[in-house]
Amino acid sequence: MRRPLEIKAEEASVRSVVSLTSALESLSTMQIAKTKNKVLISNQFFDAVWNIYKQIRVDVLFNFGRKVDEKPIDKELLILITAKGGLSGDIDQRLIRRVLERYDETKNDVLVIGHHGALKLKQAHVDATYYFDLPEKDYINVDPLMDIVRKYSQSRIFYQDYVSLSQQDIKDVDLSEVVSSKGRAADLSTLDDTVISEKTYIFEPSSYAVAAYLENSILRLTISQFIYDSRLAQVASRFKAMSAAKERSVETAKELHTEYNRAKRNQVDTRLKESLAGLKKIRAAGGK
Amino acid sequence: MADETTAVPAPEATETEQATPITGGKPTIDVKVYAPFNVYYEGAAYSLSATNETGPFDIMPHHHNFLCMLVPGTLAVQTPDGEKTFKLPKALLHVKADRVDVFVDV
Repeated sequence: MRRPLEIKAEEASVRSVVSLTSALESLSTMQIAKTKNKVLISNQFFDAVWNIYKQIRVDVLFNFGRKVDEKPIDKELLILITAKGGLSGDIDQRLIRRVLERYDETKNDVLVIGHHGALKLKQAHVDATYYFDLPEKDYINVDPLMDIVRKYSQSRIFYQDYVSLSQQDIKDVDLSEVVSSKGRAADLSTLDDTVISEKTYIFEPSSYAVAAYLENSILRLTISQFIYDSRLAQVASRFKAMSAAKERSVETAKELHTEYNRAKRNQVDTRLKESLAGLKKIRAAGGK
Repeated sequence: MADETTAVPAPEATETEQATPITGGKPTIDVKVYAPFNVYYEGAAYSLSATNETGPFDIMPHHHNFLCMLVPGTLAVQTPDGEKTFKLPKALLHVKADRVDVFVDV
Protein backbone atom coordinates (compact mmCIF):
# COMPACT_ATOMS: atom_id res chain seq x y z
CA MET A 1 0.00 0.00 0.00
CA ARG A 2 1.21 3.52 -0.80
CA ARG A 3 2.22 5.85 1.98
CA PRO A 4 -0.46 8.36 3.15
CA LEU A 5 1.78 11.36 2.48
CA GLU A 6 2.24 10.24 -1.12
CA ILE A 7 -1.53 9.89 -1.57
CA LYS A 8 -2.14 13.26 0.11
CA ALA A 9 0.25 14.94 -2.35
CA GLU A 10 -1.50 13.32 -5.31
CA GLU A 11 -4.91 14.35 -3.95
CA ALA A 12 -3.72 17.95 -3.66
CA SER A 13 -2.60 17.92 -7.27
CA VAL A 14 -5.95 16.43 -8.41
CA ARG A 15 -7.78 19.10 -6.36
CA SER A 16 -5.90 21.78 -8.32
CA VAL A 17 -7.04 20.07 -11.54
CA VAL A 18 -10.62 20.28 -10.19
CA SER A 19 -10.20 24.03 -9.62
CA LEU A 20 -8.69 24.52 -13.06
CA THR A 21 -11.39 22.55 -14.89
CA SER A 22 -14.09 24.36 -12.87
CA ALA A 23 -12.66 27.70 -13.96
CA LEU A 24 -12.46 26.58 -17.59
CA GLU A 25 -15.99 25.21 -17.40
CA SER A 26 -17.29 28.56 -16.13
CA LEU A 27 -15.34 30.34 -18.86
CA SER A 28 -16.84 28.05 -21.50
CA THR A 29 -20.35 28.72 -20.16
CA MET A 30 -19.82 32.45 -20.57
CA GLN A 31 -18.33 31.94 -24.04
CA ILE A 32 -21.30 29.81 -25.11
CA ALA A 33 -23.79 32.46 -24.01
CA LYS A 34 -21.80 35.17 -25.79
CA THR A 35 -21.22 33.18 -28.98
CA LYS A 36 -24.80 31.91 -29.13
CA ASN A 37 -26.10 35.45 -28.87
CA LYS A 38 -23.76 36.59 -31.64
CA VAL A 39 -24.75 33.70 -33.88
CA LEU A 40 -28.43 34.55 -33.36
CA ILE A 41 -27.83 38.21 -34.23
CA SER A 42 -25.76 37.35 -37.28
CA ASN A 43 -28.37 34.83 -38.46
CA GLN A 44 -30.95 37.63 -38.64
CA PHE A 45 -28.60 39.53 -40.91
CA PHE A 46 -27.84 36.47 -43.05
CA ASP A 47 -31.53 35.61 -43.34
CA ALA A 48 -32.36 39.10 -44.58
CA VAL A 49 -29.67 38.91 -47.27
CA TRP A 50 -30.68 35.36 -48.19
CA ASN A 51 -34.25 36.55 -48.60
CA ILE A 52 -33.19 39.16 -51.15
CA TYR A 53 -30.99 36.65 -52.95
CA LYS A 54 -33.82 34.11 -53.01
CA GLN A 55 -36.16 36.57 -54.67
CA ILE A 56 -33.61 37.62 -57.25
CA ARG A 57 -33.04 33.98 -58.19
CA VAL A 58 -36.73 33.62 -59.09
CA ASP A 59 -36.10 35.55 -62.29
CA VAL A 60 -34.14 33.22 -64.54
CA LEU A 61 -32.43 36.12 -66.25
CA PHE A 62 -30.38 36.64 -63.17
CA ASN A 63 -28.68 33.29 -63.48
CA PHE A 64 -26.29 34.83 -65.96
CA GLY A 65 -24.98 37.19 -63.38
CA ARG A 66 -21.94 35.08 -62.55
CA LYS A 67 -18.82 35.60 -64.58
CA VAL A 68 -16.46 32.69 -65.17
CA ASP A 69 -13.40 33.88 -66.98
CA GLU A 70 -10.77 31.35 -65.90
CA LYS A 71 -10.55 27.58 -66.07
CA PRO A 72 -11.01 26.08 -62.60
CA ILE A 73 -8.67 23.50 -61.06
CA ASP A 74 -10.22 20.11 -61.69
CA LYS A 75 -10.04 18.99 -58.08
CA GLU A 76 -12.35 19.15 -55.12
CA LEU A 77 -11.21 21.53 -52.43
CA LEU A 78 -11.88 20.25 -48.92
CA ILE A 79 -12.37 23.13 -46.48
CA LEU A 80 -11.97 22.22 -42.81
CA ILE A 81 -13.19 24.58 -40.10
CA THR A 82 -11.48 23.66 -36.85
CA ALA A 83 -10.68 25.22 -33.49
CA LYS A 84 -7.92 27.74 -32.90
CA GLY A 85 -6.32 25.80 -30.09
CA GLY A 86 -6.67 22.66 -28.03
CA LEU A 87 -9.07 22.15 -25.12
CA SER A 88 -11.97 21.79 -27.51
CA GLY A 89 -12.79 18.21 -26.77
CA ASP A 90 -12.81 15.58 -29.50
CA ILE A 91 -14.69 17.71 -32.02
CA ASP A 92 -11.67 18.40 -34.25
CA GLN A 93 -10.55 14.79 -34.09
CA ARG A 94 -13.99 13.68 -35.28
CA LEU A 95 -13.89 16.22 -38.09
CA ILE A 96 -10.46 15.00 -39.25
CA ARG A 97 -11.70 11.40 -39.20
CA ARG A 98 -14.62 12.44 -41.43
CA VAL A 99 -12.26 14.24 -43.81
CA LEU A 100 -9.94 11.22 -44.05
CA GLU A 101 -12.88 9.03 -45.09
CA ARG A 102 -13.25 11.21 -48.19
CA TYR A 103 -9.72 12.38 -48.82
CA ASP A 104 -7.93 11.20 -51.93
CA GLU A 105 -4.57 12.81 -52.62
CA THR A 106 -5.12 12.78 -56.38
CA LYS A 107 -8.60 14.25 -56.26
CA ASN A 108 -8.49 16.67 -53.35
CA ASP A 109 -6.67 19.71 -52.08
CA VAL A 110 -7.11 20.68 -48.45
CA LEU A 111 -7.70 24.07 -46.92
CA VAL A 112 -7.59 24.19 -43.12
CA ILE A 113 -8.94 26.99 -40.95
CA GLY A 114 -7.72 26.77 -37.35
CA HIS A 115 -4.39 25.74 -35.88
CA HIS A 116 -5.69 22.72 -33.97
CA GLY A 117 -7.11 21.08 -37.09
CA ALA A 118 -3.90 21.70 -39.01
CA LEU A 119 -1.95 19.90 -36.24
CA LYS A 120 -4.37 16.97 -36.18
CA LEU A 121 -4.19 16.71 -39.95
CA LYS A 122 -0.41 16.69 -39.84
CA GLN A 123 -0.58 13.85 -37.29
CA ALA A 124 -2.71 11.96 -39.80
CA HIS A 125 0.10 12.48 -42.36
CA VAL A 126 -1.91 14.77 -44.62
CA ASP A 127 -0.39 18.06 -45.69
CA ALA A 128 -2.76 21.00 -45.96
CA THR A 129 -2.50 22.84 -49.28
CA TYR A 130 -3.68 26.07 -47.66
CA TYR A 131 -3.85 27.17 -44.06
CA PHE A 132 -5.64 30.06 -42.37
CA ASP A 133 -5.62 30.91 -38.71
CA LEU A 134 -9.02 31.38 -37.12
CA PRO A 135 -9.32 35.02 -36.05
CA GLU A 136 -10.61 35.80 -32.59
CA LYS A 137 -12.37 38.96 -33.69
CA ASP A 138 -16.04 38.89 -34.65
CA TYR A 139 -15.48 40.14 -38.15
CA ILE A 140 -13.90 37.54 -40.36
CA ASN A 141 -12.46 38.62 -43.66
CA VAL A 142 -13.01 35.60 -45.87
CA ASP A 143 -11.83 37.32 -49.07
CA PRO A 144 -8.44 35.52 -49.20
CA LEU A 145 -10.31 32.25 -48.74
CA MET A 146 -12.76 33.19 -51.47
CA ASP A 147 -9.91 33.76 -53.90
CA ILE A 148 -8.86 30.14 -53.37
CA VAL A 149 -12.39 28.71 -53.48
CA ARG A 150 -13.00 30.42 -56.82
CA LYS A 151 -10.04 28.58 -58.38
CA TYR A 152 -11.63 25.16 -57.85
CA SER A 153 -14.37 23.47 -59.77
CA GLN A 154 -15.82 22.01 -56.55
CA SER A 155 -15.55 22.79 -52.87
CA ARG A 156 -16.75 20.80 -49.92
CA ILE A 157 -16.89 22.33 -46.47
CA PHE A 158 -16.46 20.28 -43.28
CA TYR A 159 -17.85 22.09 -40.28
CA GLN A 160 -19.04 21.60 -36.73
CA ASP A 161 -22.72 22.00 -36.07
CA TYR A 162 -24.15 23.02 -32.71
CA VAL A 163 -27.21 20.92 -31.91
CA SER A 164 -27.31 21.38 -28.16
CA LEU A 165 -24.96 21.85 -25.25
CA SER A 166 -24.38 18.12 -25.13
CA GLN A 167 -24.44 17.41 -28.85
CA GLN A 168 -22.28 18.82 -31.61
CA ASP A 169 -22.30 17.14 -35.01
CA ILE A 170 -19.76 17.01 -37.79
CA LYS A 171 -21.22 17.85 -41.16
CA ASP A 172 -19.95 18.24 -44.68
CA VAL A 173 -21.68 19.86 -47.63
CA ASP A 174 -20.92 20.85 -51.17
CA LEU A 175 -20.59 24.61 -51.13
CA SER A 176 -22.26 25.29 -54.46
CA GLU A 177 -25.13 22.97 -53.52
CA VAL A 178 -25.73 24.93 -50.32
CA VAL A 179 -25.78 28.23 -52.15
CA SER A 180 -28.14 26.99 -54.84
CA SER A 181 -30.47 25.13 -52.48
CA LYS A 182 -30.70 27.97 -49.99
CA GLY A 183 -31.15 30.47 -52.79
CA ARG A 184 -33.94 28.45 -54.35
CA ALA A 185 -37.38 29.57 -53.24
CA ALA A 186 -39.13 26.62 -51.59
CA ASP A 187 -42.49 27.45 -53.07
CA LEU A 188 -42.81 29.95 -55.89
CA SER A 189 -46.50 30.53 -55.12
CA THR A 190 -45.52 31.96 -51.74
CA LEU A 191 -43.72 34.79 -53.47
CA ASP A 192 -45.97 37.71 -54.27
CA ASP A 193 -45.80 40.29 -57.05
CA THR A 194 -43.23 42.25 -55.14
CA VAL A 195 -40.54 39.76 -56.16
CA ILE A 196 -37.29 41.51 -56.96
CA SER A 197 -37.24 41.84 -60.72
CA GLU A 198 -36.56 44.50 -63.28
CA LYS A 199 -40.31 45.17 -63.45
CA THR A 200 -40.63 46.04 -59.79
CA TYR A 201 -37.18 47.36 -58.87
CA ILE A 202 -34.60 49.86 -59.95
CA PHE A 203 -31.09 48.37 -60.03
CA GLU A 204 -27.88 50.32 -60.09
CA PRO A 205 -25.59 50.03 -61.95
CA SER A 206 -27.55 47.16 -63.58
CA SER A 207 -29.58 44.11 -62.62
CA TYR A 208 -26.85 41.77 -63.85
CA ALA A 209 -24.13 43.59 -61.94
CA VAL A 210 -26.17 43.51 -58.72
CA ALA A 211 -26.99 39.81 -59.18
CA ALA A 212 -23.34 38.95 -59.89
CA TYR A 213 -22.23 40.91 -56.85
CA LEU A 214 -24.85 39.24 -54.70
CA GLU A 215 -23.92 35.76 -55.92
CA ASN A 216 -20.35 36.46 -54.96
CA SER A 217 -21.40 37.92 -51.61
CA ILE A 218 -23.67 35.04 -50.81
CA LEU A 219 -20.78 32.57 -51.12
CA ARG A 220 -18.75 34.76 -48.79
CA LEU A 221 -21.64 34.95 -46.33
CA THR A 222 -22.17 31.20 -46.49
CA ILE A 223 -18.55 30.53 -45.55
CA SER A 224 -18.72 33.15 -42.77
CA GLN A 225 -21.90 31.58 -41.42
CA PHE A 226 -20.27 28.13 -41.32
CA ILE A 227 -17.31 29.60 -39.43
CA TYR A 228 -19.59 31.30 -36.88
CA ASP A 229 -21.65 28.13 -36.43
CA SER A 230 -18.47 26.07 -35.97
CA ARG A 231 -17.26 28.50 -33.34
CA LEU A 232 -20.40 27.90 -31.31
CA ALA A 233 -20.01 24.14 -31.65
CA GLN A 234 -16.36 24.43 -30.58
CA VAL A 235 -17.12 26.35 -27.38
CA ALA A 236 -19.93 23.90 -26.59
CA SER A 237 -17.55 21.00 -27.14
CA ARG A 238 -14.99 22.68 -24.89
CA PHE A 239 -17.65 23.08 -22.22
CA LYS A 240 -18.56 19.40 -22.55
CA ALA A 241 -14.92 18.35 -22.33
CA MET A 242 -14.29 20.59 -19.30
CA SER A 243 -17.41 19.30 -17.52
CA ALA A 244 -16.34 15.71 -18.13
CA ALA A 245 -12.78 16.47 -16.99
CA LYS A 246 -14.11 18.18 -13.87
CA GLU A 247 -16.37 15.23 -13.05
CA ARG A 248 -13.51 12.79 -13.56
CA SER A 249 -11.12 14.82 -11.40
CA VAL A 250 -13.73 15.20 -8.63
CA GLU A 251 -14.24 11.42 -8.67
CA THR A 252 -10.47 10.80 -8.61
CA ALA A 253 -10.05 13.27 -5.73
CA LYS A 254 -12.77 11.43 -3.77
CA GLU A 255 -11.16 8.05 -4.45
CA LEU A 256 -7.76 9.37 -3.43
CA HIS A 257 -9.22 10.80 -0.23
CA THR A 258 -10.73 7.42 0.65
CA GLU A 259 -7.44 5.73 -0.20
CA TYR A 260 -5.60 8.25 1.99
CA ASN A 261 -7.95 7.58 4.93
CA ARG A 262 -7.51 3.85 4.46
CA ALA A 263 -3.73 4.15 4.32
CA LYS A 264 -3.70 6.44 7.34
CA ARG A 265 -5.90 3.99 9.27
CA ASN A 266 -3.68 1.14 8.17
CA GLN A 267 -0.62 3.03 9.37
CA VAL A 268 -2.25 3.70 12.77
CA ASP A 269 -3.30 0.05 13.03
CA THR A 270 0.22 -1.13 12.21
CA ARG A 271 1.70 1.19 14.84
CA LEU A 272 -0.90 0.05 17.36
CA LYS A 273 -0.11 -3.59 16.60
CA GLU A 274 3.60 -2.88 16.98
CA SER A 275 3.00 -1.08 20.30
CA LEU A 276 0.83 -3.93 21.58
CA ALA A 277 3.43 -6.48 20.52
CA GLY A 278 6.12 -4.42 22.32
CA LEU A 279 3.93 -4.15 25.42
CA LYS A 280 3.36 -7.90 25.41
CA LYS A 281 7.10 -8.49 25.20
CA ILE A 282 7.76 -6.08 28.11
CA ARG A 283 5.03 -7.74 30.17
CA ALA A 284 6.38 -11.16 29.31
CA ALA A 285 9.89 -10.05 30.33
CA GLY A 286 8.57 -8.55 33.64
CA GLY A 287 6.69 -11.74 34.50
CA LYS A 288 9.86 -13.86 34.43
CA MET B 1 -96.36 45.84 -43.78
CA ALA B 2 -92.90 46.64 -43.06
CA ASP B 3 -91.18 49.14 -45.25
CA GLU B 4 -89.07 47.65 -47.93
CA THR B 5 -85.55 48.41 -47.22
CA THR B 6 -83.17 48.99 -50.01
CA ALA B 7 -80.28 46.62 -49.88
CA VAL B 8 -77.16 48.65 -49.57
CA PRO B 9 -74.22 46.95 -51.18
CA ALA B 10 -71.42 46.22 -48.83
CA PRO B 11 -68.43 48.46 -49.39
CA GLU B 12 -65.82 46.82 -51.53
CA ALA B 13 -62.81 45.68 -49.70
CA THR B 14 -59.97 47.79 -50.93
CA GLU B 15 -56.33 47.27 -50.20
CA THR B 16 -55.13 50.04 -48.02
CA GLU B 17 -51.81 51.41 -49.04
CA GLN B 18 -49.13 51.14 -46.46
CA ALA B 19 -49.04 54.48 -44.71
CA THR B 20 -45.76 56.31 -44.63
CA PRO B 21 -44.71 56.85 -41.04
CA ILE B 22 -44.62 60.45 -39.87
CA THR B 23 -42.25 61.85 -37.28
CA GLY B 24 -42.21 65.50 -36.26
CA GLY B 25 -44.83 66.31 -38.91
CA LYS B 26 -42.65 65.00 -41.74
CA PRO B 27 -42.90 61.65 -43.52
CA THR B 28 -40.09 59.27 -42.64
CA ILE B 29 -38.53 56.03 -43.74
CA ASP B 30 -37.43 53.15 -41.54
CA VAL B 31 -33.68 52.71 -41.79
CA LYS B 32 -31.48 49.89 -40.55
CA VAL B 33 -27.75 49.98 -41.15
CA TYR B 34 -26.15 46.78 -39.96
CA ALA B 35 -23.39 44.18 -40.26
CA PRO B 36 -23.55 40.57 -39.00
CA PHE B 37 -22.59 41.59 -35.45
CA ASN B 38 -23.27 45.27 -35.35
CA VAL B 39 -26.29 47.51 -35.78
CA TYR B 40 -25.00 50.98 -36.68
CA TYR B 41 -28.40 52.62 -36.87
CA GLU B 42 -31.99 51.53 -36.61
CA GLY B 43 -34.87 53.94 -36.59
CA ALA B 44 -36.79 56.60 -38.44
CA ALA B 45 -35.14 58.96 -40.89
CA TYR B 46 -36.23 61.78 -43.18
CA SER B 47 -33.75 60.81 -45.86
CA LEU B 48 -30.60 58.86 -46.56
CA SER B 49 -27.70 59.83 -48.80
CA ALA B 50 -25.10 57.45 -50.20
CA THR B 51 -22.99 56.79 -53.27
CA ASN B 52 -23.01 53.89 -55.69
CA GLU B 53 -21.15 53.24 -58.93
CA THR B 54 -23.51 55.56 -60.78
CA GLY B 55 -22.92 58.42 -58.37
CA PRO B 56 -24.39 60.00 -55.23
CA PHE B 57 -28.09 59.57 -54.57
CA ASP B 58 -30.75 60.21 -51.92
CA ILE B 59 -33.53 58.03 -50.64
CA MET B 60 -36.64 59.80 -49.40
CA PRO B 61 -40.10 58.61 -48.38
CA HIS B 62 -42.11 57.00 -51.22
CA HIS B 63 -38.94 55.98 -53.05
CA HIS B 64 -39.36 53.27 -55.66
CA ASN B 65 -38.11 49.77 -54.80
CA PHE B 66 -34.38 49.92 -55.24
CA LEU B 67 -31.40 47.59 -54.97
CA CYS B 68 -27.80 48.64 -55.40
CA MET B 69 -24.23 48.15 -54.24
CA LEU B 70 -22.71 51.04 -52.36
CA VAL B 71 -19.13 51.99 -53.03
CA PRO B 72 -16.90 52.52 -49.97
CA GLY B 73 -17.62 55.97 -48.60
CA THR B 74 -19.91 57.95 -46.35
CA LEU B 75 -23.53 57.16 -45.69
CA ALA B 76 -25.55 60.04 -44.23
CA VAL B 77 -28.86 59.49 -42.50
CA GLN B 78 -31.05 62.50 -41.69
CA THR B 79 -32.76 61.41 -38.49
CA PRO B 80 -35.18 63.35 -36.25
CA ASP B 81 -32.19 63.77 -33.88
CA GLY B 82 -29.93 65.23 -36.54
CA GLU B 83 -27.62 63.86 -39.19
CA LYS B 84 -25.77 60.64 -38.57
CA THR B 85 -22.89 59.70 -40.83
CA PHE B 86 -21.17 56.36 -41.23
CA LYS B 87 -18.00 55.52 -43.08
CA LEU B 88 -18.79 52.25 -44.74
CA PRO B 89 -16.83 49.71 -46.72
CA LYS B 90 -18.75 47.86 -49.42
CA ALA B 91 -22.44 47.44 -48.68
CA LEU B 92 -25.73 46.45 -50.22
CA LEU B 93 -28.69 48.82 -50.08
CA HIS B 94 -32.26 47.62 -50.36
CA VAL B 95 -35.30 49.90 -50.45
CA LYS B 96 -38.82 48.59 -50.29
CA ALA B 97 -42.02 50.19 -49.00
CA ASP B 98 -40.37 53.03 -47.10
CA ARG B 99 -37.93 50.66 -45.45
CA VAL B 100 -34.22 50.88 -46.16
CA ASP B 101 -31.80 48.12 -45.22
CA VAL B 102 -28.09 48.70 -45.59
CA PHE B 103 -26.16 45.46 -45.32
CA VAL B 104 -22.60 46.34 -44.43
CA ASP B 105 -19.68 43.97 -45.24
CA VAL B 106 -21.69 42.07 -47.79
